[in-house]
Amino acid sequence: MQPLYIISACSISAQHTYDAEAFLNPVINSGNGQLYAIDPDYKKYINPVAIRRMSRMLKRGISAGMRCLDDAGIKTPDAIIVGTSRGSVTDMEIFLHELIELEENALNPSGFIQSTYNSVNGWLAMLSKCPSYNQTFVHRGFTLELCLFDAMLALAETTETKHYLTGAFDELTPEYFYIRNKIDYYKKDLPDSLQLLAHSDTTGSVGGEGAHFFTVSNQKGNALCAIHGLDMLHKPTAKSLQEAINQMLLKNDLTTGDIDVLVCGMNGDSRTSFLTDPVVASLSPNTTVAVFKHLSGEYDTASGFGLWLANYLFVKQTTPTEVVYKRGAAQKIQNLLFCNVTISGNATLMLLKGV
Amino acid sequence: MAERVVVTGIGIISALGTGINDHVTALRKQRTGVHPISLLRTIHSNEFVLGEIKMSNDELSAYIGLPTGDNGYTRTALLSLAAMKDLLGETDIELLRSESLAFINANTVGGMSKMEDIYADVLKPDTQQHNIKYIDTLDCAESTERVVEFYGIKPFMATISTACSSSSNSFIMGARMIRQGLVTRAICGGGDALSRFTLNGFYSLKNVDKQHCKPFDQNRGGLNLGEAAGYCLLESESSAIARGAKIYGILSGYSNTNDAYHPTAPSPTGEGAIRTMKEALGMAGLRPDEISYINAHGTATQNNDAAEGLAIQNVFGTTPPPFSSTKPFTGHTLAAAGVIEAIFSLLAINERILIPNLNFETKMEELEIAPLKEYAENVDLRHVLSNSFGFGGSNVSLIFSKA
Repeated sequence: MQPLYIISACSISAQHTYDAEAFLNPVINSGNGQLYAIDPDYKKYINPVAIRRMSRMLKRGISAGMRCLDDAGIKTPDAIIVGTSRGSVTDMEIFLHELIELEENALNPSGFIQSTYNSVNGWLAMLSKCPSYNQTFVHRGFTLELCLFDAMLALAETTETKHYLTGAFDELTPEYFYIRNKIDYYKKDLPDSLQLLAHSDTTGSVGGEGAHFFTVSNQKGNALCAIHGLDMLHKPTAKSLQEAINQMLLKNDLTTGDIDVLVCGMNGDSRTSFLTDPVVASLSPNTTVAVFKHLSGEYDTASGFGLWLANYLFVKQTTPTEVVYKRGAAQKIQNLLFCNVTISGNATLMLLKGV
Repeated sequence: MAERVVVTGIGIISALGTGINDHVTALRKQRTGVHPISLLRTIHSNEFVLGEIKMSNDELSAYIGLPTGDNGYTRTALLSLAAMKDLLGETDIELLRSESLAFINANTVGGMSKMEDIYADVLKPDTQQHNIKYIDTLDCAESTERVVEFYGIKPFMATISTACSSSSNSFIMGARMIRQGLVTRAICGGGDALSRFTLNGFYSLKNVDKQHCKPFDQNRGGLNLGEAAGYCLLESESSAIARGAKIYGILSGYSNTNDAYHPTAPSPTGEGAIRTMKEALGMAGLRPDEISYINAHGTATQNNDAAEGLAIQNVFGTTPPPFSSTKPFTGHTLAAAGVIEAIFSLLAINERILIPNLNFETKMEELEIAPLKEYAENVDLRHVLSNSFGFGGSNVSLIFSKA
């Protein structure tokens, strides 16, 4: 496959990622098992009239997407490929509550419209004046990865330089947290979210949310890294996950010893550690293992935070202590393996190389 | 040059019935599936007509071979499973298990049809156990993964949601993967079940006609909603020929563009639709006058039909090929609309029929063109264009050609 260059990355998350210079300074934690995103000033990209009617997910998706294009120096992308597993949960809840409480009478359509999964796509097309290919993926833990995959599919059909806006977002609400707690998605008693991975013997993770966007291209430009491998595995076994990693490395003429960093989406849930533990154990002493869900929280598109972090590591060429799970001997960051797992049983892999 | 992509299998369930035969019969007899509400529990049940599939969840479960009662499958998943069962009636499942396959599904509101019934209970501290099993069924990928797991296939899978153009987009992705040699076959389509959420959503937007919808009519009053699921098996032409498969048609052109104009309304001049149709024609290497029939999106809303009508007039002139909206037959089935109408386009080619635009009476003032009123047989259809447009300015056109 052709490398997919990451030209810019923009993240709105529970950590200081929108202003990347402030990342981890300070580290944000939570004592109630829920990590909510830090809202930046949304007025920069959305006019004051529109902003009043917009839910926070819409504002977030628009702002992260438009800022990502700004950072890449791109006014109008050649395509917009964006995903979400749950869309705007707040809007869905508002409309659903009205539906039930007003007994189907005189409902306000705003919640209905904004809960439509491709509403952020539509806004991004309008604001960036992009009349071209526009696609929305909505597939649980594969969502962001499908956007990147679709970008690769489209780029494989052209020889011209193209820049696509890709990304994914999801939202946490108190109600959503309450409901999913009923099926053990979150740890019952976790006084400090930063201690998530120290409690990997029980079910559940920390709730999280975020919007993560990436301007990708078939040309290197100012990119510091590129995606060279991408794989999505539905309910893998530890063995099939390891085989997929081996295949990906083999295709790229690499061995486990060549991996400088593993960015691993371990989420502290005892139902997924059977997948991630063997991956970590199979690495050589060379590899530094970086983790992030104690910072981002767990949600279907949390891999966006992981990919943002991966890009950040290529920029900084050092792995901050706050994300280190295991420090390896590697000094440089050239080959990075990304492995994410979700509680619903999907795993994804990416291989990134410095350029 | 990339290989041609052909359609070799069809699975369909809608208000017109289950399978190709039910649908061909209804289309030939010009018999609508849109009727007064009998299944959806809504306070509007005496006001509206809907394209309901007249099978309860228990009946659907029994048809598929699932236990009845609270089996954890939402109606959305059941419709997808039923359409896939129909597809598997003519396709050997071992074929799908043995070679690289993609399953590109589409959906707009996931398991909302169930969630809206149980939400009040789900918010209580002591949610009933039979409702707990539906807690994680609201998202769009639920039905995709249910299909994969139930039929024991291991495809590359994806779920798309671009409102009313969703399942048309699944054709584009599947075709791309086949053309690039990433998979041999792709099952493309989607499904949506009726819910109070969507009915009231469109009603709150003043987009619903309480009478039978009248696409492209001066006196149109909005859409009728429906529910459906449909899947097409796509594969490379050489693979289809090698195994002697029946070829329903060639997917000879497609295009996806965005209006970049308004969150829910199309550009009034139909610019986006014009570009989409032109791009699809360009890809297929066809002139507008080579199109034999247009299956329009034709929702019967004020905005859509005005914009789409102008766009058709712009691309095809004042004497366009016969065009019709088939939504008066099925209702607007949202995520499924694209695949249902793709299937109708393929059936039109294979059955050599022209499907009329039911309920049409009065030409729109702003248009010089009018949709097809009369059913016709023994018509040689070489190339059929199918449009799907959705919220968020999402436009897709597909072109199917006679094999």
